[in-house]
Amino acid sequence: MTEPQRTVLDEPPPFLGTWRRVYTVVVIYLACVISIFYWFTQSFAPSLTP
Amino acid sequence: MRPLDWVVMFGWLVFLVSYGLWRGRGSSSTQEFMLASKTMPWYAMGLSIMATQASAITFISTTAQAYVDGMRFVQFYFGLPLAMVILSATAVPIFHRAKVYTAYEYLEHRFDAKTRLLVTIIFLISRGLGAGLALSAPAIVLSVVLGWPFRVTILIMGGLVVLYTTLGGIKAVTWADVQQMTVIMLALVMAFAVAISMLPPDVSFRDALKLAGAAGKLNAVTTTFDWNDRYNIWSGLIGGMFLALAYFGTDQSQVQRYLTGKSIGQSRLGLLLNAMAKVPMQFFILFIGAMVFVMFLFVRPPLVFQPVVLEQVQASSQYAAIESRYEQAFDQRQAAARGILASRAGALQDFRAAQQNLDAARAEALKLSDTSDTNYIFLSFVTHYLPVGVVGLVIAVIFTAAMSAISGEINSLATVTVIDIYKRHLAKESTDLHYLRASRLATLFWGIYAMVFASTAKGFGALIEAVNQVGSLFYGGMLGVFVLAFFVKRCTATGAFVGVLAGEAAIFTTARFTEAFLWYNVIGCAVVVAVGWSISAIQARN
Repeated sequence: MTEPQRTVLDEPPPFLGTWRRVYTVVVIYLACVISIFYWFTQSFAPSLTP
Repeated sequence: MRPLDWVVMFGWLVFLVSYGLWRGRGSSSTQEFMLASKTMPWYAMGLSIMATQASAITFISTTAQAYVDGMRFVQFYFGLPLAMVILSATAVPIFHRAKVYTAYEYLEHRFDAKTRLLVTIIFLISRGLGAGLALSAPAIVLSVVLGWPFRVTILIMGGLVVLYTTLGGIKAVTWADVQQMTVIMLALVMAFAVAISMLPPDVSFRDALKLAGAAGKLNAVTTTFDWNDRYNIWSGLIGGMFLALAYFGTDQSQVQRYLTGKSIGQSRLGLLLNAMAKVPMQFFILFIGAMVFVMFLFVRPPLVFQPVVLEQVQASSQYAAIESRYEQAFDQRQAAARGILASRAGALQDFRAAQQNLDAARAEALKLSDTSDTNYIFLSFVTHYLPVGVVGLVIAVIFTAAMSAISGEINSLATVTVIDIYKRHLAKESTDLHYLRASRLATLFWGIYAMVFASTAKGFGALIEAVNQVGSLFYGGMLGVFVLAFFVKRCTATGAFVGVLAGEAAIFTTARFTEAFLWYNVIGCAVVVAVGWSISAIQARN
């Protein structure tokens, strides 16, 4: 049975220079998405005096 | 379904299976069959991971979830991007450098054979149940919509999956998923456009949002903490993160996808694509469900969405009275909805009262056959209101979405069976060709198993919750042992083994007291780590 590929490549990301920066962008993106959803929820929340 | 719909449906099925077979042709070694010779680009991995998750259940049940319960289910996915980041930084490089075929193979490198075997068995049990459920749940619904016998539906779906997965391996599965994901998005956009176009001319998109909000369907974020509330921002971020960590970090059906990457970087990008796209995609699917609800404020929905049950209800002596109350409640609700748009005082209270009457009439009708029709809401909308041809496409997508989820599952079950059981314990020194044949046989076995399990399984109320609940009973324990392996250097093999058993015991005990299954993963993982760490510390002292 063949072994999985011998050479393991660990290259830098294609943008932002380091993986740490890429991860930070993903976390900031998540915070923005949740904030937008929160605003969305609040904007259309039911009110007893429409 | 009209003739054009059948042509489109079968055309898509034939195309997808042929495409999978073509891309998976020439899988002549185990490495090619199980890891696509580590040649997959990041976008194929990312889309394949998303397609496996976007199973038929996503279409059928997620939209219905928003229709019935609002959009709060989206919070379930809030922890997923965090999990993708953690796994990209930890599990991806560890698994790649360990040069393993399966995640459980790594556990023997790190601990011992018994820990690997224990986790392998837990995976085979949980994923085996999941594969059967992933096949039976959509087959129940599709058989009703298409008018096919349930077992014939299972045989067609399962047979096609077994065909291209057995012959083409992971390459066929992944490339078929890429096509699948593209058409899934197209079908979703079409469904959304139709729901909006069915609104009366004097009801704008903004009005639709106002009505969906008034009905409580746009409740995407709930900040109040409640232990028994399944979906709020806290259970989503914490519990959802643990579930995603466990699913993507320890479930071979996902680990195998990113092990096919050309490099660590490509695998990371595949996971991060999922991190960025998954939450907005789920939001959009739920939003479609909310818009279908608004559409049905102005277009009268059937009393019962399940067509066979509706026929039973119509044959009942109580039908006329229930239908009359239902019609009256629908008219009241529509009038109240227009009142809300006109900002009439008291319109919201009238709306809620009418909705309660409507729900009561539906509940009474459903009680006659003692069933739930939640999973038929979206399909009822598709088959009644989408244009000819598009109906066939959406049904075909649902069909093949189920197949995509199952193919990934039986492929991973076969890989684990061969690598972690057969090669490790039964036939240690054989040729690559021998293991390739064993892999194909194992794929066939798990395909048949899933079909047999599915054909004897009964339906679940909300499919997506059932799938996640079954997974959550096992994922916490599996995640815990990988946390010990990655982060607790002094953890011993005995500590890990006993930790997993203790974690599973804790999860099953917790499940007796609360249905908030997202927390099972947190509790299970915490118990495994605590017990594993404690036993290792005691052993070190002695």
